[in-house]
Amino acid sequence: MSNNRVSRRQFLGYTLTGVGGFMAAGMLMPMVRFAVDPVLQQKDGGDFVLTDQRVEDITEEPVRVDFSFEQVDAWYTSDVTNSAWVYKEGDKLIALSPVCKHLGCTVNWAGDPEQPTQFFCPCHAGRYEKNGQNIAGTPPLGPLDEYEVQEQDGYVAIGAVRPNTLV
Amino acid sequence: MHFIGRDMDQYLSQKDYVDTAVVPLVQLDLSEAGLKSSAGASEYLQSLTTLLEKQFKGRILLFPPMAYTKNADRSRLSKEISEELEKAGFKHVFYMTTDAEWRSIDELQNVLWLPAIPTEHMDRNFKQSVMEDQLRQVLPLFLKEWS
Repeated sequence: MSNNRVSRRQFLGYTLTGVGGFMAAGMLMPMVRFAVDPVLQQKDGGDFVLTDQRVEDITEEPVRVDFSFEQVDAWYTSDVTNSAWVYKEGDKLIALSPVCKHLGCTVNWAGDPEQPTQFFCPCHAGRYEKNGQNIAGTPPLGPLDEYEVQEQDGYVAIGAVRPNTLV
Repeated sequence: MHFIGRDMDQYLSQKDYVDTAVVPLVQLDLSEAGLKSSAGASEYLQSLTTLLEKQFKGRILLFPPMAYTKNADRSRLSKEISEELEKAGFKHVFYMTTDAEWRSIDELQNVLWLPAIPTEHMDRNFKQSVMEDQLRQVLPLFLKEWS
């Protein structure tokens, strides 16, 4: 026992190291927080909005599905209703954005009676295939955007918009 | 497109495609008896024109509502606004209103008169479907004008 006696010098050394360690940690912690902050940020936009469209009612014919969410524009909060064209390809759900890639009008499935299997934009007669591919010779320069889509309790849920992955 | 700064950049670069102006005409009646119906009509008209803008974003420029009082000289108003829009080079101009007095004004072409529907007591989904029904009545008039 007497061999392990802590001398005054050692005791002071341990104490100073401990206190100094706490102080260093107190300074370093916030810096580390700042450095890794982007990793800790919560991701927005990954949320899915539940619609009242049943998945089993969806066929290979695109139907319009409306969904509402809250949008904040500076100080002004509003409920925004958007829609998507949803259809099944095999068992896979596909949701396309109705926003024309030309100037942003709303496209309709079979909007042009002469082209019953295409999306049609009434503004400048833009046309798209069922998978969203724009038809050459019409004004749009790119394919329709696609929504992330999934089934939740038998209903369609629509998520973030992303560039078309089908064409 | 809306009449906002961000959309104007796009409008200026795509002027050939955006050839249609839409001007809502709103009558302000601030008398105690008329206040509520005037406000309701204005609400209705703004919901409808916003939906219309969403449908035809790439071809129409939706102006802020032009407000005037009950006794305003509508002939003079219509002359001023139509001259200004003509100068700006719009090929088609639509005026949308719930004010029946415009039906007797001959100076304006393409005045769409709609009876206002009070939407204040409707829940959101019902209001949405009512406004879409209203929109469906208006759309063919635009398509006819464009064709």
